[in-house]
Amino acid sequence: MNKNVIFILCVVIGVTALLLVGKRASKPPDSAVNGSAQNAGPVHGPGDPAKGSVAPVFELKSIPDNKDVQLASFHGKAVLLNFWATWCGPCKIEMPWLVDLQKKYGPQGLQIVGVAMDDTDNKEIADFAHKMGVNYVVLKGTEKVGDLYGGVSGLPLTFYLDRSGKVVDETMGLASESVIEDAVKKALAGS
Amino acid sequence: MKLYRLFFVLGVFLLSGALLCAQESLAPQGRVFVDFVSASKPVVSPGHSTPVQFTFHVENPYHINSSQPLVPELIPTQIHFSLPGEVAIGRMQYPAGKLMSFPFDPSTKLSVYSGDLVIRGMVVAPAAASAGTYTIHGELKYQACDNNACYPPKKLPFTFNVNVGNKGKSTPKARPTATSPHIHN
Repeated sequence: MNKNVIFILCVVIGVTALLLVGKRASKPPDSAVNGSAQNAGPVHGPGDPAKGSVAPVFELKSIPDNKDVQLASFHGKAVLLNFWATWCGPCKIEMPWLVDLQKKYGPQGLQIVGVAMDDTDNKEIADFAHKMGVNYVVLKGTEKVGDLYGGVSGLPLTFYLDRSGKVVDETMGLASESVIEDAVKKALAGS
Repeated sequence: MKLYRLFFVLGVFLLSGALLCAQESLAPQGRVFVDFVSASKPVVSPGHSTPVQFTFHVENPYHINSSQPLVPELIPTQIHFSLPGEVAIGRMQYPAGKLMSFPFDPSTKLSVYSGDLVIRGMVVAPAAASAGTYTIHGELKYQACDNNACYPPKKLPFTFNVNVGNKGKSTPKARPTATSPHIHN
């Protein structure tokens, strides 16, 4: 057989194999299949802030009082930044844990900030947060801020920031209470 | 000639690498939760109605809320159409959701769709409808979750054809230019 034909065939097979590997890589992670909270690993979006980097700054309206709140206003505190929505079942499961963590670690400098990614009006979000006994800051999220944090393609999505505003950990999907508490301790212990 | 081959191979592998990176970077946002499988091909005479059905497939491992979720905050699955004057669609019948609980909250049952989903309705042609083939634009609104995360609400656009026959004749005349207005997301 002509050497050129063999060469072209090899190149075609190589490219096909690479594309197949790429297709496998683009499938959802196993944690989404087995649902184990312990296996819930972060799914990094294209613009996700990496661990060790300073969390992107933003200003959002608070719920229910509609005041401007900047992320920078929490400087000096460890921040648990939790993207959630009223239509997200797993987010609802985490909320009582976050309430407990705010009570337990608030005096040590933890501030939990919930960013609601709902399209609904503020009253519905406020009523839901009230029903869930939320004792931490709730802000109305925007697509722009979501994009700063990797597009927020799935919820809950939580970033743990140390006192200097650097990302020390991230969880996507429902994490167990102990995983969240360990990340909070790491954020409080950070610089 | 050998140098040319070397550059060619390098070029192909660089291109493949770029394709791989593009696929991976699209992964989180580019997930497919629901596919439009098919629609029946309704044929209706002016002044009459006929059944129509739409088949979708909810990809594993995801589920979407049924049309009547049991929890008020959950977003129901709904189908909408943008219709030309010659055709109306109504009496939509959504299947009952499967009552399932999930690892994130084993104590609560939710009404969801997973796997194949068939939604039925009736196509109605008013008595004054002109004969022809009409392309209808539809949209399935849904919100998907898996066992440990939920994903923002999505709209799945789809199209299907309705044939309106001449009064008293069973075979309609094709009129491919008549389409419903597009639905913008």
